[in-house]
Amino acid sequence: MSALSPNIATRLAPHALPLAIAAFVVVFSIIEPAFLKPDNLVGIVRQVAMVGIMATCMTFVIMTGGIDLSVGPVLALSGVVAFFVMEAGYPLPIVLAVGLASGVAVGMVSGAMIAFFGLPPIIVTLAMLSIVRGSALLLGGPDLHSIRDQPGYTFIGTGSIAGIPFSIYLFIAVSLLVIFLQKMTPIGICVAAIGENERAAFLSGHRTRTTKMWLYALSSFGAALAGIIQSSQVHTASATYGEFGTELDAIASVVLGGTSLMGGNGSVARTIVGVMFLGIMSNGMNILNVSIDIQLIAKGAIIALALALAERG
Amino acid sequence: MPAAANPNAASSSLVEARGLTKIYGNLVALDKADFRVMRGEVRALIGSNGAGKSTLIKILTGAVMPTSGSVKLDGVELPLGRPEEMIRHGIGCIYQHSNMAPAMSVLDNIFLGRQPTRRFGLVDVKAQRREAEELLERYGIDLDLDAVVGELPTVKQKEVEIVKALALNAKVLLMDEPTGWLATSEVRRLHDTIRLLKSRGVGIVYISHMLDEIFTVCDTMTIMRDGCVIAEADVSDMTRAKVIELMVGDRLARESSAAAHEARHPRGNGEVRLSVKGLTRRGMFRDVSFDLYGGEILCITGLIGSKRTELMHAIFGSEPCDAGTVEVDGKPVNFRSPGDAMAGGVGFVPEDRHRDGLMSGMTVTENLVMTTLNRFRRLFLLDRKGIEAASRRSIDDLSVKPPDGRKLVRHLSGGNQQKVLVGKWLRLGPKVIILDEPTVGVDVGAKAEIYAILRAERDRGAAVLVVSSDLEEVMTVADRIGIMVSGRLRSIHDAAGMSMAQVVAEIGAE
Repeated sequence: MSALSPNIATRLAPHALPLAIAAFVVVFSIIEPAFLKPDNLVGIVRQVAMVGIMATCMTFVIMTGGIDLSVGPVLALSGVVAFFVMEAGYPLPIVLAVGLASGVAVGMVSGAMIAFFGLPPIIVTLAMLSIVRGSALLLGGPDLHSIRDQPGYTFIGTGSIAGIPFSIYLFIAVSLLVIFLQKMTPIGICVAAIGENERAAFLSGHRTRTTKMWLYALSSFGAALAGIIQSSQVHTASATYGEFGTELDAIASVVLGGTSLMGGNGSVARTIVGVMFLGIMSNGMNILNVSIDIQLIAKGAIIALALALAERG
Repeated sequence: MPAAANPNAASSSLVEARGLTKIYGNLVALDKADFRVMRGEVRALIGSNGAGKSTLIKILTGAVMPTSGSVKLDGVELPLGRPEEMIRHGIGCIYQHSNMAPAMSVLDNIFLGRQPTRRFGLVDVKAQRREAEELLERYGIDLDLDAVVGELPTVKQKEVEIVKALALNAKVLLMDEPTGWLATSEVRRLHDTIRLLKSRGVGIVYISHMLDEIFTVCDTMTIMRDGCVIAEADVSDMTRAKVIELMVGDRLARESSAAAHEARHPRGNGEVRLSVKGLTRRGMFRDVSFDLYGGEILCITGLIGSKRTELMHAIFGSEPCDAGTVEVDGKPVNFRSPGDAMAGGVGFVPEDRHRDGLMSGMTVTENLVMTTLNRFRRLFLLDRKGIEAASRRSIDDLSVKPPDGRKLVRHLSGGNQQKVLVGKWLRLGPKVIILDEPTVGVDVGAKAEIYAILRAERDRGAAVLVVSSDLEEVMTVADRIGIMVSGRLRSIHDAAGMSMAQVVAEIGAE
């Protein structure tokens, strides 16, 4: 082997994902030119908006070496809670605030158990997945609750400004906000420090436990916002939304973006690249009429591959 | 070259390395080094970090293939770059960090990975035990073969590693910082074992930063600097000052010995900065009281296990205590977390920089501002320019090498990592700074620099509290010396009136 080839590999590694995206775009657009139409491209972003919001909000949790498996049920809960507040006749700002607060509350409970009692995140959020799903079902039952005559609420998921769906604006706003938190405020360094060496961060005077609790609250906030978009998009709230696999999409996007599940350095901006990659993959496979079962297998294989590559790198 | 200590030296050259050179890219890590070890000789290998010691050792263990040069053992040319061949020919290595299986017995550890077997692949326990007993007999080492390794004192674990190497027919043992985590009495015991091995004809290479130990146990020394062997000598022909001078070059040596002889400042400027009264944590330490003054360095020494680290954590608020009070500048404080203590003007450089101190995957700059992040907040925003400037100042002040704030901490040498760790606490500008073993695993050059930093802190009026098991260090930097024995602060003395022998006697007293 020449000395050059490993060099090229290490230089290309950070750009592997954008390159893969470019490669897929070229392949899909050759097979099906409709792929590149503006309508389809906007459609892709609209499709990934909810997963995107959840993934950006979960990036910090994963950077601290934690994980949030409870996002699916939280998504369902916030929709159902928002529905009942709406039914009770409260104005839109209250509806949104209470819906989002239900999610934040869940995150704070998980976060407190993880941060203050030292329980493993995977178990706590797995337990929370069950508790929250149960609570949502208790509250909303198994029925679909249709949302009628709520133009403001419906606009969130179905409205457009300048031809671009409103949910895309929300995705962009949340992404910019979390990137801002990482790059421009002390939070970014605190989160990385906790992920790198939590004990050293504590001994350096950081309020590691409180910070961790709020990071889980942020993750749940993302899921709750996604829940509101979802219920608004389909004009119904249901305790069964956010089915199994929702959390996988969010976690996979973060991991594809290069954040290690072991914690440490990570990047919210690259999480968004991970989101786009999964979105383009799934859109392309839809266009090519790949059946859903094969799509699931392909997605799992890609995630496993990405993890294997990340471990080697 | 001076005559070797061993009378029949000429005839019994055990290891003979000639012209070893290792080049990595543009860097010459080792430059035509010659190295010899005689039968029954304890040879010290000394040099600052980066002097080429580790490269030389790695060539001898087969972990690194030299660019050129040869190694002979008992006159037989060895195949280089193959660890299993080096072991087979009789080069054993005792690493700084233990390679034992702690839950297994001494016997199992000795034969780990190469159990003699009977038919059907069953382990031949009887043969193992016979062989092990013979070894212990031959080398005069006293070990209980059935003891569980993890429950043995550290020094006994080292002995198990030694026996394990001997079981592989090691003729020469390379010992890398063998006393790194040992208490004083354990060091003596290990040295006794080394003398036994020596009398049985084993050649020993003793790699250590501890000059005391080298003068106690070694016969000869090889001193390296910048990848070259710069001196070989009998220990009896050398002085401590001469060794340091050869290792670090004359300028640094002059500075450090000048500093050692400068005036002591017991009770510094006379103002009590930190006052600890009756501090107690059950099962750890009892009724500890002392005053620490601004402008002095108080070193607390004692055996490993005398609970000094736990005491410091209790003062800093990172671990609990059951009774007692702490005052800073005359005001009672009750630190419930490190954040509280820092707000109260107390800084704490912990003992283990990898576990407790640094974020090794983050940059030097990020680590340096870790304790003072809030000072760089403008409303919500992080003042990146301010951080860069602060980091550059610290890097200059501490002469961190390379002087690049974007470098990841894990890519720095041990000494430079330690400077970053100390530096991040100095950035806080504490009134009281506690340092727990501030120079463990740091080369002599960086040690001298860290001592200079401590003195500078003292001279700006800070109260400096150092926990150290390294008596040389205590005698060098302390204005006053506190001695802790089994969880009690036994006494505090003015350093000027103390000899090292007196300190040792008190540490060992029950």
